[in-house]
Amino acid sequence: MPKSLSQRLLLLAANLVVLAIVGFLVLPAFVVALAAFNGRAILSFPPDTWSWRWFAKAIAYEDFRAGFHNGLIVTGWASTIALMVGAAFAFALDRYQFRFKRTLEAVLLSPLIVPHFTVGLGFLIVAAQLGFARGFAVVVACHVVLVLPFVLRSVYISLRNIDPRLELAAASLGAPPHRVLATITLPLLLPGLVSGWLFAAILSFNEFTASLFVTAQRTQTLPVAMYNYVREYADPSMAAVSVIYIVVTAVLLTFANAFLGLGKVLNVEHAR
Amino acid sequence: MTDRPFLRTFVSPAALCALAFVAALAAVMQYSVRAYVPGSLEPGGLTLANFAALLKPLYGRVFLDTVWICFLTAFWTLIVGYPLAYALVHARNVALKSAILVISVTPLFLGEVVRTYSWIVVLGNNGFVNSMLLKAGVIAQPMQLMFTRFGVVIALVHVTLPVMVIMLAAALAHIDPDYERAAESLGAGPIRAFLTVTLPLSLPGIIAGVTTSFAWTFSAFATPQLIGGGQVNMVSNLVYQLGFASFNFPFAASLSVAGLVLTFAVLALLRAAARPLERIGPN
Amino acid sequence: MNDVSKRFGETVAVAAASLLVRRGELVTLLGPSGCGKTTLLNLVAGFLAPDTGTIALDGEDVTPLPTYRRGIGMMFQNYALFPHMNVAANIGYGLKMRGTPKPEIRRRVAEALDLVKLAGLQERKPRQLSGGQQQRVALARALVIRPKVLLLDEPFSALDRNLRASMQVEVREIQRKLGVTTIFVTHDQSEALSLSDRIAVLSEGRIRQLGTPDEVYCRPVDRFVASFIGDGNILRGRIDRIGGATATVALGHARLSVPRGPLAGAEAGEAVDLFLRPENLRVADNTAAGAVQGSVATQIYQGDHVDLYVDVPEAQTGRVLLRLPGSDPMARCPAGTRLGIAVAAAEAVAFPAAMDAGRAPLRP
Repeated sequence: MPKSLSQRLLLLAANLVVLAIVGFLVLPAFVVALAAFNGRAILSFPPDTWSWRWFAKAIAYEDFRAGFHNGLIVTGWASTIALMVGAAFAFALDRYQFRFKRTLEAVLLSPLIVPHFTVGLGFLIVAAQLGFARGFAVVVACHVVLVLPFVLRSVYISLRNIDPRLELAAASLGAPPHRVLATITLPLLLPGLVSGWLFAAILSFNEFTASLFVTAQRTQTLPVAMYNYVREYADPSMAAVSVIYIVVTAVLLTFANAFLGLGKVLNVEHAR
Repeated sequence: MTDRPFLRTFVSPAALCALAFVAALAAVMQYSVRAYVPGSLEPGGLTLANFAALLKPLYGRVFLDTVWICFLTAFWTLIVGYPLAYALVHARNVALKSAILVISVTPLFLGEVVRTYSWIVVLGNNGFVNSMLLKAGVIAQPMQLMFTRFGVVIALVHVTLPVMVIMLAAALAHIDPDYERAAESLGAGPIRAFLTVTLPLSLPGIIAGVTTSFAWTFSAFATPQLIGGGQVNMVSNLVYQLGFASFNFPFAASLSVAGLVLTFAVLALLRAAARPLERIGPN
Repeated sequence: MNDVSKRFGETVAVAAASLLVRRGELVTLLGPSGCGKTTLLNLVAGFLAPDTGTIALDGEDVTPLPTYRRGIGMMFQNYALFPHMNVAANIGYGLKMRGTPKPEIRRRVAEALDLVKLAGLQERKPRQLSGGQQQRVALARALVIRPKVLLLDEPFSALDRNLRASMQVEVREIQRKLGVTTIFVTHDQSEALSLSDRIAVLSEGRIRQLGTPDEVYCRPVDRFVASFIGDGNILRGRIDRIGGATATVALGHARLSVPRGPLAGAEAGEAVDLFLRPENLRVADNTAAGAVQGSVATQIYQGDHVDLYVDVPEAQTGRVLLRLPGSDPMARCPAGTRLGIAVAAAEAVAFPAAMDAGRAPLRP
């Protein structure tokens, strides 16, 4: 259907607006990439010389290495625990009626609106009162609570997207409940579970505010290490780390989108 | 089916996590009513002195500032995020859709420190914006963008945008495209069809987005800390300063409690204000 | 089923239903939406537990048993094929749950595919199959486990007309060949008439009539069954004589024999509503010879026949429907033509006269 001039102008304007917004979103990443490759220590745009030296320095920097290592430990534990707890609860939420169901759901989802500094402070105080050293256990517990809402949402949405008749069909063919779970529900839920885990992992690895409160020098995660660095030094090592971060995250998310359909999990696909 | 085969196994771990979370919050509330003993990490006896101290105008200003910044951020995030969400939902090209989705969502997953640092590089006196404008001859002196509320809000909008886009896109995706087509078949141009049909129907999404953005922004710490640099203080920064600079955990706790109360109050207000608007929506 | 009932909150879905389905028989549960037929099916399957009554399969009381222990086979409306398994795994699922050894599963799956004429498609995934093929796989999956009873929940409603007709024939042949006891749920009365050994007509949770298609069509026991199955005309007549099992009703100068049952305690001289099927009416040789007179309103061409609508004052809806072969010259007469309508059968069905005249008129 041929478009009128005004329609085409409208479309053009709309596309330009979207382009500008996307530009706004991408600007910091682009700028940081420029800064990271700068040959000199002082920021300048555009850079006079290009170099990989800041990447080399960032990767070699002890605090960053330790932070990366700690981050992996915390994230590995926190996202796996959160996945198991969250998936089980999402299942109970979808299928069962029990007392305090809504209350429990509200409490578990509330870390979405409670500021992370409050949660961090709280865990710090509890750990101190119970005599726990500020070790990994506290950090993992804190992270689990913080990423649980995302896992819960992701798995719950996936559960709701499974045709309930499939499980009825399995039962009608002679499968008892635990076999229905193992042969039908779980395999169909797999994309939701994997994307839930992925989101939890990315969020936990990048979590900063609460971690600032609950980590100690030796359990410091990478974002905390980066924060401490930025407060003292101004060289582009931070930019280099940031670029690595951005690239890895974008790749992971593209991967997640291609294989698992980010859109479906975030519930932004058309209902039809 | 009325039987519940795995109920206990599935719910207990979650209940445990809920308990841990509640314990953390309870700890904060407990500390907020204990006295601060300078030089010691242990709090003193029960007292309301912390809350009394909150009434000082200094702190009142920080609270008002925080609320104002949160509103500004939520507002601008809505303005900027809506077209993006719309484009995301209505893009026909699958590759384009994926690209917009990944680009919109990536900032969410980058973590506060990376995002905030990126904005420092953009906004600083030696940063991108200033360098470009100086080279282009538009300005003679670098513009002060760092350590200003303006800079903080821009960075916060960038930080909050993914959340808003996701909520808006979810709402928009569930609006049957036939509604707009019906409006156009009845003679409404695309802009009017949008304003009179799609926009009202997306109201629940807008409300959800604004509410979530507000709560999200209130929680922000690294952004105001690094870009505000002490000049722009939100509640989160104050809590950190008191907690870790002075180790005045009781007061930090009372600030947190006040902040929580404030957040819930504002959210409840937003909900109440939105109720008459919700009747315009599809339900 | 014995005296089975089920309610959801305030709504009674099924009220005191009793039904005996014989071995090898195909019984259809027929009724409009909300009549309780699907609830009844779900009760037999075990997805719901009855509030009262018992359900027995092969003499064994299965009411306390969960679905997966009842030995049923079920075919769902949207097929419910497991999307993450191929055809062979789908069909073999029930056998796997029963612990059947792998070689035998393979053999029986191949047999089942032959039965539904889909030989060789073991490796395909459901999304690679057409709607008709998916349905056959669903049928094979339900049959391969040799169920005690096969339950079909409106299985053909998603198919287009031609496919539906051919699938109906195929399913019936397979069912007869295997001799599997079957309960079929549908709201489509022509489907019920063509497939069933017996039909249970339901309305508002009750079984109104249980009988062969012929019984249900020609001798409906009440108004609901009469109007739900096929088309019909209602004309006011008068009881002439009451006999033992039958009564005679006068319509104009025609005399018709009707079963006494539906008329209960009516007496001679009382007005009754005669229920006449369109195919039992014909255009009289001349206007005066008809049992009633009227003028033509509309003709609707249906290919093999023409539906002729005639305005008749004595009809309850003011209109009578006749069916004429397409070649009949009367099928082409213009609107307004006066004609007489004769009754071409000696028998009919009559019900006590309805007080109110408000009923859904025949289309159009």
